[in-house]
Amino acid sequence: MSLTVVKGLQSEIFVPITPDPVWTPVTKELKDMKVALATAAGVHMKTDARFNLAGDFSFRAIPGDAPVSDMMVSHGGYDNGDVNKDINCMFPIDRLRELAAEGFIKEVAPVHFGFMGGGGNQDKFMNETGPEIARQLKEEGVDAVLLTAG
Amino acid sequence: MIAALPPVVRQNGSPRAVAPLVPMGANAGAPNNIEQQYAITKESLEWLVKISSAGKIIPLNHEYVAKI
Repeated sequence: MSLTVVKGLQSEIFVPITPDPVWTPVTKELKDMKVALATAAGVHMKTDARFNLAGDFSFRAIPGDAPVSDMMVSHGGYDNGDVNKDINCMFPIDRLRELAAEGFIKEVAPVHFGFMGGGGNQDKFMNETGPEIARQLKEEGVDAVLLTAG
Repeated sequence: MIAALPPVVRQNGSPRAVAPLVPMGANAGAPNNIEQQYAITKESLEWLVKISSAGKIIPLNHEYVAKI
């Protein structure tokens, strides 16, 4: 069998292009850092509007002192079974509080962010949602952000 | 970034990532397993400082096999 070469052949399957990573040097020790969480797991306060499970590029702020019993998850892209039992599975805020109490980090940030990954308008995520979350975190003087996603 | 799916994280250009052996939906450890969640959170922060160049994904030696 001979091979056939077709010039300019394109895949019908969407193949995402890996973006260049954004590299921010670390300039402080952990014990001097104010740390926030950001998660694509669809975490939000129970009093907030749920995410649109069909795709949603909006985000929700979560106060740093909120009890996990006041939080919930709405996300249509993964099995919510574990996170519904214990939100710390995806949003380890209680563990972060323990690390702050021990002095491993300086403090827990006053605000954290939840959004719904796994779909939605990628341009909006990249150009609006992400930058706005970053802006608010910088405004709060956050030194590091621990993310859960993928 | 704490990743359950390292290839996805790599494809999205994440600068610093760790990957415990967990299913998607329990990236920071098994539900109500405080010890495991604590270790994953703490080690993730340690790697946030230690990773020296973009694109590294560090395996974490913590495993949770979900019973589905």
